[in-house]
Amino acid sequence: MTFHRGQKVEIFRISEDESWGEHMNQYVGLHGIITDPDTTKNDPDALIEVSVEGKGTHRFPQDCLRLLR
Amino acid sequence: MPDVNCPVNQTLLALQETIESGRLSNPRSRRIAEEIRDLLMDVAGGRAGKDHLGAIASLNEELAYDQASPGAMAAAKAVRDALGGHREVFQSHIDTHNCAAGDCVRLVPAPCQMACPAGIDVPTYVNLIGQGHDAEAVEVIRRDNPFPWVCGLVCTRPCEFMCVRGRVDKPISIKFLKAFAAERALSDRHYRNPARGPAKGRRIAVVGAGPGGMTAAYYLALKGYGVTVFEALPVAGGMMMLGIPRYRLPREVIDREVAMLEDLGVEFRFNTRYGSDITLKGLNSSGFEAVFLAIGAHQSFKLNIPGEDDFPQVIEAIDLLRRVALGDRRIPGKHAIIVGGGNVAIDAARTCLRLGTEEVTLAYRRTRAEMPADMEEVEQAVDEGIHMSFLTIPKAIRGDSGRPGRLTGLECIRAKLIRKDDSDRLFPVPVEGSDFVIEADTVVSAIGQRIDLDCLRDLKGLKWSRRQTIQANAVSMETPVPGVFAGGDAVTGPATVVEAIGAGKRAAGAIDRYLSGIPQPKMPPVPVRRSRVEWMEVPAGTKMTLRRPEMPLLNLERRRTTFQQVELGYTENVAREEARRCLRCDICLRCGKCVEVCRDMMGVDALQFGFLNFDQPGPTDFRVTADRCILCGACAANCPNDAIRIIDRGDERLLSYCGTILNRQKLERCQECGAVLGPQRYLEFLQRRTQGVSPVVVDRKLCHACARRHTARVHTENSPV
Repeated sequence: MTFHRGQKVEIFRISEDESWGEHMNQYVGLHGIITDPDTTKNDPDALIEVSVEGKGTHRFPQDCLRLLR
Repeated sequence: MPDVNCPVNQTLLALQETIESGRLSNPRSRRIAEEIRDLLMDVAGGRAGKDHLGAIASLNEELAYDQASPGAMAAAKAVRDALGGHREVFQSHIDTHNCAAGDCVRLVPAPCQMACPAGIDVPTYVNLIGQGHDAEAVEVIRRDNPFPWVCGLVCTRPCEFMCVRGRVDKPISIKFLKAFAAERALSDRHYRNPARGPAKGRRIAVVGAGPGGMTAAYYLALKGYGVTVFEALPVAGGMMMLGIPRYRLPREVIDREVAMLEDLGVEFRFNTRYGSDITLKGLNSSGFEAVFLAIGAHQSFKLNIPGEDDFPQVIEAIDLLRRVALGDRRIPGKHAIIVGGGNVAIDAARTCLRLGTEEVTLAYRRTRAEMPADMEEVEQAVDEGIHMSFLTIPKAIRGDSGRPGRLTGLECIRAKLIRKDDSDRLFPVPVEGSDFVIEADTVVSAIGQRIDLDCLRDLKGLKWSRRQTIQANAVSMETPVPGVFAGGDAVTGPATVVEAIGAGKRAAGAIDRYLSGIPQPKMPPVPVRRSRVEWMEVPAGTKMTLRRPEMPLLNLERRRTTFQQVELGYTENVAREEARRCLRCDICLRCGKCVEVCRDMMGVDALQFGFLNFDQPGPTDFRVTADRCILCGACAANCPNDAIRIIDRGDERLLSYCGTILNRQKLERCQECGAVLGPQRYLEFLQRRTQGVSPVVVDRKLCHACARRHTARVHTENSPV
């Protein structure tokens, strides 16, 4: 999935990526908006910025995100 | 961000319940309990000062002294236990004006503030701008971000994506309002630094004068540390200065805001590269007790195609932008091809155009729909005459065989997008036999940046992520090397200015804790409410019809030929009007109690607040309320945060939702004593509800007291005792 700014996403699972911190477990199940996708390379491995409702803006690996239709 | 209940709120509720239950039989105990409750309300409401906790503890001892009353002793024990067990939470409410659990509703940040990586109190400054207090607005912004003007021009504005007004029509133009206020405050000479804390006599080195490094330097200097910023280049600004073209961010803007740091006592040492001119050992021996690495990501990825290294006309976008930022205005070529689809590619293309390149083509391997660059930037580039060549994969650099070293074009192959089995992502694959050449004399590679690892090779113990960035704790910004912190693009990879600013602020807090011997936090900080400014009164019709203003742009001819700022900024009237669209989500928490009460309890259904739902917002129209609302006040009585209020003003009753006047109706008065009865619609509602009861007075509008008196007189006359 190529993510774009403004899309609504769900953090649907814990990622196994090294960038996943323990404090991020609490975000699983929450919804948010993509605020800064990988703006250079369209890289599926890039960390992308998501503003999570009520929890602030953080960078997530893309394998833990799914689009809300 | 724990999901437990807030002890401040729990203590307050328990004490309130004790007071109301009548268990405090002694009037003196009751009075003391009420005083404690008032002080707790100050803490929960963000109005408490440094003496509050001491005063609560002292009053509580007096309450506990009432040994005759078991209720008083139990209440005092509950308060004492809460203060003893959760003192830091109480203190945090006072210091940060923030309730992490979200129970103390006055201290819950708005979605826009939560979304900001720097945690700026957006509703407060937007409303200050609306009220004409630009300098105060800038002061609020700078408590979380020392670069309001820069961010007002180049921020990626996550706040606007979370803006609740966006669920009604379009989000508030937060970014441009910030730029307006900063420009105004600077122009009026009201843009000032806050007072610096007493000097601590301790030195900190910041490596890199980009947004992250300078933000850390600013907040550390405010705390009283001696800060020196080491920068490899001859200017401050980092990617703000070198990666963002002047037509988006004029150099003067950066210079003015950097000058504020110098004014605060931050020392800059330019042309000083970490790894060659300075090392960790050298910094430590010079008395620097902590180091913050904010070196950014200034190196480009290569295209990795044949001929790339054979022609000097193949240049990297970031080098081109840096060269131009430092004053070089030579034309790179007559026909330039920019390879890439991100913001840097767009910046490079528009820069070439302004330098005088006759034809600029942007080659991107996917389609416009997949372009990662900001759509606004892409549209502006197309308006200016940049050609787009989509589904184009570069294959080789072509040269003139007769003139070695002379580039003649870029050999490309057409791509098609396919979906692979295990992914819903579209991948470009070459279409066989579709080779073609785009003629050019310059090729600019803009396919991403990475950090310069070489300069940090000597730093033993530093760890690297698989993305080749510095591994640092995302909360405390600590690296495995004691006393060395890192943040910004060097940790996240290429990211945004405001993220780097947020990281710099977190690093400043972490370095302060490190040098003070305080443990580091385990969770990222929650944004801090800075104030709760009074709302602006706006009629519902105006609130609905005000539209987000378009940003006026420089004319196309100038845009194609000069580096003048493209976005010309809002005029004063436009900015003030735009601020009036704000829904004040710092006050309304969108709990929906008002809607439920009006619809389900009163059966009126006058509040059409579709914006309350994040995932599936429904229609919103504030004007509907005036048609249906009876001004009963049930919504206001059930609002936990005073967002919705009933106000009697002169001969009218108003329903205000965070300043939006949803309904106003003439008040009816008692025909005997003149007391307020309420609007006619409300009286009719009551009449309908009490139809089964025979009317006491017919065709007369009387208050309860006069009606009672009247009824008593009738009873006395008709049935004398």
